[in-house]
Amino acid sequence: MTNPRCSAEAGRELRRMVRINEGIKSVVSAAFKINLMAMNAIFLAKRAGQSALGFGVLSNELRSFAGDLQQQMAALREATSASVAAVTVLVKQSRVSRLLERAGVEAQGESKTLIQELLQLRAETRLAGSNQQMATLNRGLSHMIADTVQLVELGSVLARSAKIEAAYGGGFSVALMQVSSDFEKMIGEIRQSLESLSGTQEEDFVA
Amino acid sequence: MKTARIIYEDGDHKWLAIVRDTSRPEFLIDTNEYLVTSDGDGMLLDPGGSEIFPAVFSALSTSFDPRCIGKIFSSHQDPDVISSLPMWLEFNPGIKCYLSWLWQGFVPHFAGEADTFVPIPDNGMEIPVGSRRLRAIAAHYLHSSGNFHLYDAGAGILFSGDVGAALLPRGEDGLFVEDFDRHIRHAEGFHRRWMGSDKAKNDWCARVSALDIDMLCPQHGAIYRGADVKRFIDWFSRLEIGVLKT
Repeated sequence: MTNPRCSAEAGRELRRMVRINEGIKSVVSAAFKINLMAMNAIFLAKRAGQSALGFGVLSNELRSFAGDLQQQMAALREATSASVAAVTVLVKQSRVSRLLERAGVEAQGESKTLIQELLQLRAETRLAGSNQQMATLNRGLSHMIADTVQLVELGSVLARSAKIEAAYGGGFSVALMQVSSDFEKMIGEIRQSLESLSGTQEEDFVA
Repeated sequence: MKTARIIYEDGDHKWLAIVRDTSRPEFLIDTNEYLVTSDGDGMLLDPGGSEIFPAVFSALSTSFDPRCIGKIFSSHQDPDVISSLPMWLEFNPGIKCYLSWLWQGFVPHFAGEADTFVPIPDNGMEIPVGSRRLRAIAAHYLHSSGNFHLYDAGAGILFSGDVGAALLPRGEDGLFVEDFDRHIRHAEGFHRRWMGSDKAKNDWCARVSALDIDMLCPQHGAIYRGADVKRFIDWFSRLEIGVLKT
């Protein structure tokens, strides 16, 4: 890996992490809203009584879904933070290599050989290690995003079921229908954010 | 390309000055690096900034095996003094870096592990190089708040970091000061601005006046020798410092 390429890749990686973090922020914000909406829905279901028992159960499930989503996003944020740390190491290593390469050009005789040996060793150990670590971290990120997509699928199913249950809500049916539509809309927003997040991860990541 | 010049030699006890990087870009300040060797052991004094590492390394290795540098002395924390540390540690991860305890948590941002650094207490300490023992002399607030110079009594050399530094114009690049009055004009503005404490300055002048010094070696500019050493100390003691404009 030549140093300019390494620097360009590092810059691209950092920009990618920024985009992923922006995606995480919008998912966290939506999860927070779902949590509040679910709490209100539980109270509404209680007021509706027997006819909204199923809706109450689903609202509870949606609340824990919001909690799980927030936890997942916290883990994802930690993973991006580890990636940023790895990119930083790579940039530092690249700078050291660049200066050693320059020293190799200027040095004579035995010192030149010494530098060449050192550069070879660095390429085989440190740089290779850093690149491997980056690849591992990126694979981890991809898996976490895929897990989150599955989790959101569960959220979608819950929101759809809540809509069905709302139809049996008697006098509260209209209000419950409105709440379940809000759930659906919010989960749709999360899905959109995740799609863009997956896109960012898949488009730019070269393992 | 820098050159390594022997400025003192007594058997295996040597001082090398690595000076005058002619290929250095204008936007980088020129620096002097010094290497003290004794019995095959080497200590590099203010090894310089990372950007000039290639020039320092290639000049130094014409006279000394860089793998034998076991110690680095860092007068203070500035990047032109010590930011090449990561590259030196590549050659010898066991290098010990002696510097003020004050900067022990700062300089590792360049490189190194906890055991890379040997903190120098405020009143200084002795540092062995081969069979020689050199003395880290306190020079706090001249200009850094944790600052040391290095005295080699056997060679009669004081490495004085930024004290004595001169920003020489192109063309005036002699290794030694030849015309003190002419030279000191290039040092005046630097000292007025960079040295901030009159009390610290007077205290330093009093202490180093008592030392037997044949050469005073700054990190920038030419080396003072012979009578110019006392001339410089006298000049410095009279200079008004800590002022924004000359």
